Amino acid sequence: MDQPELALCQASDVEEGCALRVEIEGHPPFAVYRLDGEYYASDDTCSHGEASLSEGTVEDGQVECPWHSGRFCLKTGAALTFPAVVPIRVYPVSIKDGTVHIRPEAAK
Amino acid sequence: MNSATFRIAVAGSDVSYSCESADTLLRSGLRGGIGLSYECNAGSCGTCKIEVLEGEVEDLWPQAPGLSEKDRQRGRRLACQSVPQSDCTIKSRLADQYIARHAPTRQWARLTDVRSVTHDIGEFTFKTEGAALFQCGQYAMVRLPGTRGPRAYSMSNTSNSDGVWKFMIRRTPTGAVSNALFQLPVDSHIELDGPYGLAYLREESPRDIVCVAGGSGIAPMVSILDGARDTDSLRKVGAWLFYGGRGPSDVPAIDTILASHHLEIGLEWHPVISVPALAEGGNWGGEVGFVHDMLPHKLPKPLHEYEFYFAGPPPMIEATVRLLVVGHKVPMTQLHYDRFF
Repeated sequence: MDQPELALCQASDVEEGCALRVEIEGHPPFAVYRLDGEYYASDDTCSHGEASLSEGTVEDGQVECPWHSGRFCLKTGAALTFPAVVPIRVYPVSIKDGTVHIRPEAAK
Repeated sequence: MNSATFRIAVAGSDVSYSCESADTLLRSGLRGGIGLSYECNAGSCGTCKIEVLEGEVEDLWPQAPGLSEKDRQRGRRLACQSVPQSDCTIKSRLADQYIARHAPTRQWARLTDVRSVTHDIGEFTFKTEGAALFQCGQYAMVRLPGTRGPRAYSMSNTSNSDGVWKFMIRRTPTGAVSNALFQLPVDSHIELDGPYGLAYLREESPRDIVCVAGGSGIAPMVSILDGARDTDSLRKVGAWLFYGGRGPSDVPAIDTILASHHLEIGLEWHPVISVPALAEGGNWGGEVGFVHDMLPHKLPKPLHEYEFYFAGPPPMIEATVRLLVVGHKVPMTQLHYDRFF
């Protein structure tokens, strides 16, 4: 049985090299990223200082928090540079009929 | 001297403030009671990143490590290194936590005394005309006439109306400012601008206090521990001071620097040295290792039950944060340090 999926946004809502914050009732805010044509999703709130990662810089497979410049891996959520030390939750993404879906319960 | 005053507006808010000539966008905002995001005030941490949407600014340090090449390409600047040349509109992160309790001011300060703390750390006492108002653990920007740019040094004493500011400063072989300070004759004047910093004593926290210091990072820890003993709500909480040095000669005599050392409510003092060869042949009776590694061994309660304050070299700061947050699940809100890197 597949885990339930959650539709976050239209794929075309996210600009290349950017991120979009998505709020859905009953869930923490999500960030959806588009980089080199690939889509990624994570919790939007930084694990360090509570900034919104969707306002950060997306490049080299990473997002850099706009506040204290901690970096996270978009694929694994790993905290890569200080002061970020705690990973963020990332979600498997699929695109169906132009819509970005994640499986919240499959978070890493 | 050009005495122009510029108006600075923060985009997306109704906040604006005035900035006098030669002042930075960051410090003038903090003086005006604006909660501009910052941490080091010295170009290194990047927390005061802004975008200048309208107006002209001079960049005091175009190579400051607080900005990456990508940040510069995107037009980002550091508020702590930006001096406006006209009225400006800036995009900046505002938060109440940055609003200064004691508005920072620029004052002339006279050197009244220097004494030795260790073989390479001196305690410098300065006197200002106005009061020395700050929160324990904060720092001031010190500028010597004839040197380039101010340096951030933490106060080692506590807030007072007598205008007394004490700093513990380490003499480094290549440090232009620290060397100049160690050669400064008594009665010389310097420019002192402060207070700044977020790693101050949390008077409202009922938790026991743990201070971790490396090198001249001892200064704000002395201020915090003495300040706690002056605070009704904190007078009886437990207090620990861990100090890391390379060898025995780096370790200060604690009873000579901590005013509250004689009080009955004890302080547990744990000096640790990291270079075993320096301990050999001497009378070193203390621990050998990295200072942060001692925390889980010496502290009796689970680590999330303490309030942590620390200051020291970047590797010590980073190792301490990892140990506490990743290893022992201490909430980030119980960790207090200013990141100068």
